[in-house]
Amino acid sequence: MKYMILSYASQRDYEAMAGKDTGLPVWSEKDLAAMGEFMTTVNKELEESGELVETRGLTAPVHTRRVGARDGQPFVTDGPYAETQEVLAGYWIVECESIDRATEIAARLGQCPYPGNAYDNAYADIRPIAEAADDMGF
Amino acid sequence: MDDTRDEDLLRELAPQVLGALVRRYGHFPTAEDAMQEALLAAAAQWPEEGRPEDPRAWLITVASRRLTDLLRSEQARRRREDAVAAWTLPGDWLAPAADQPVAASDDTLVLLFMCCHPSLTPSSQIALTLRAVGGLTTAEIARAFLVPESTMTRRITRAKQRVKDSGVRFRLPSEAERTERLAAVLHVLYLIFNEGYASTSGPDLQRAELAAEAIRLARIVHRLLPGDAEVAGLLALMLLTDARRPARTGPDGALIPMAEQDRSLWNTAQIEEGIALVTGALARGRVGPYQLQAAIAAVHDEAPSAEETDWPQIAALYELLMRMSGNPMVALNHAVAVAMSQGPTAGLARLERLRSDERIAADHRMYAVRAHLLEMSGDHAAAREAYEEAARRAMSLPQQRYLHARAARLKGSD
Repeated sequence: MKYMILSYASQRDYEAMAGKDTGLPVWSEKDLAAMGEFMTTVNKELEESGELVETRGLTAPVHTRRVGARDGQPFVTDGPYAETQEVLAGYWIVECESIDRATEIAARLGQCPYPGNAYDNAYADIRPIAEAADDMGF
Repeated sequence: MDDTRDEDLLRELAPQVLGALVRRYGHFPTAEDAMQEALLAAAAQWPEEGRPEDPRAWLITVASRRLTDLLRSEQARRRREDAVAAWTLPGDWLAPAADQPVAASDDTLVLLFMCCHPSLTPSSQIALTLRAVGGLTTAEIARAFLVPESTMTRRITRAKQRVKDSGVRFRLPSEAERTERLAAVLHVLYLIFNEGYASTSGPDLQRAELAAEAIRLARIVHRLLPGDAEVAGLLALMLLTDARRPARTGPDGALIPMAEQDRSLWNTAQIEEGIALVTGALARGRVGPYQLQAAIAAVHDEAPSAEETDWPQIAALYELLMRMSGNPMVALNHAVAVAMSQGPTAGLARLERLRSDERIAADHRMYAVRAHLLEMSGDHAAAREAYEEAARRAMSLPQQRYLHARAARLKGSD
């Protein structure tokens, strides 16, 4: 089965990572390097085990463009999110034996080092990806 | 032979060519690449220049040359290079003796054992089997399993390397290991079949071809091990299940359960072949789980209508299967068979016992079966609730639509 692991962050989190004083612990170069190293290691492990299908990180929420329709007319808005709203920051698609294994992988990703205690309550979601019907019941 | 399409012939010869290379030169990972390149060369040249007199010898020659090139370019140590440069192909390879195909088919079996080596994960075993024995390209396998080609390439490369590192010799496993290793091969073929069978029509047609490929590979194994009852059982199970494919989805792509399928659409030739296979296998007396599943499929396929299904027989077969396998799906199907032969109350009692099995307690199929049995018993309100709950838990859209439709049918009748 394939699963998507989704991680979340707010515009404020992104800015703290970029060195802006937002009231959150500011990331130093060393903190950033530690995070990069951690992610590279885990992604390599997943690649080695054949479980990684794809992983991507998204740019800051401020770069979001939203397209919708109003009275049948398409309209476009920029950056629809509040500073502190947690939105999708990145995802991993893994292919593994069970949702329990995918959960294990997500928990491992959750051990990523970060400065201070700003992300003590961070979480990730694990969602099964829609594929085939699942048995020979038909 | 002459009326086969080039593509089919190439797929049939692929494992024989690879087997010959590995047997002679070793270097399984590189030999496999060389074989793929020889297949590509044949696919490009034969339509233009005509099929060679002896296609197998042609492929072995081209693949051997390619292997030599690849090994050279691998910056092999000088010693290895010298050895490679000194290789010459014996004449009997260019004109194989009459008994050659027998050895070649042994090679196919050895390859299968290699590809399903216990050091590999199931997904790697599947990918390697399809490429090395099935002759599919990495791109085709990636498409069938809905992963990027680069992912599949890495998966296959790693698997080949792991087989090489495991130091497994190119020969059949010892008698002591044979049963266990053959079980792994059969399981991989079963998984390939299921992956193809479970994917419905529409955009998944690519995947549906996996079922045909699994049947083709199972035929090869059955031809090589005609005396093995479980091999015959697995091939029969695939044929008897696949025979129902044309009736399984409606024109709108909706899933149609077996009880409501138009049985005139079932493939009678496949059913006859499957029944003959499983009957012959069961008569040999070494009954295993694939034969039992095939026997169950045969009982379904033999019934002229859903009402005429021999449910007591199916319940008895599931009884035997439950003794061999701890799979909760078997117990779930057994509960259905009991309900159909002894009434829904008996079936629901069986289901109750399964509730403590956490492997299936939360599974949508558990709720779907419960809903069916409640509907049979006339408790429509509870049945509707169970259908809705099953739909909430199901992950595939066709399954969900089917379950919601069942629930909707019961509206107002309670």
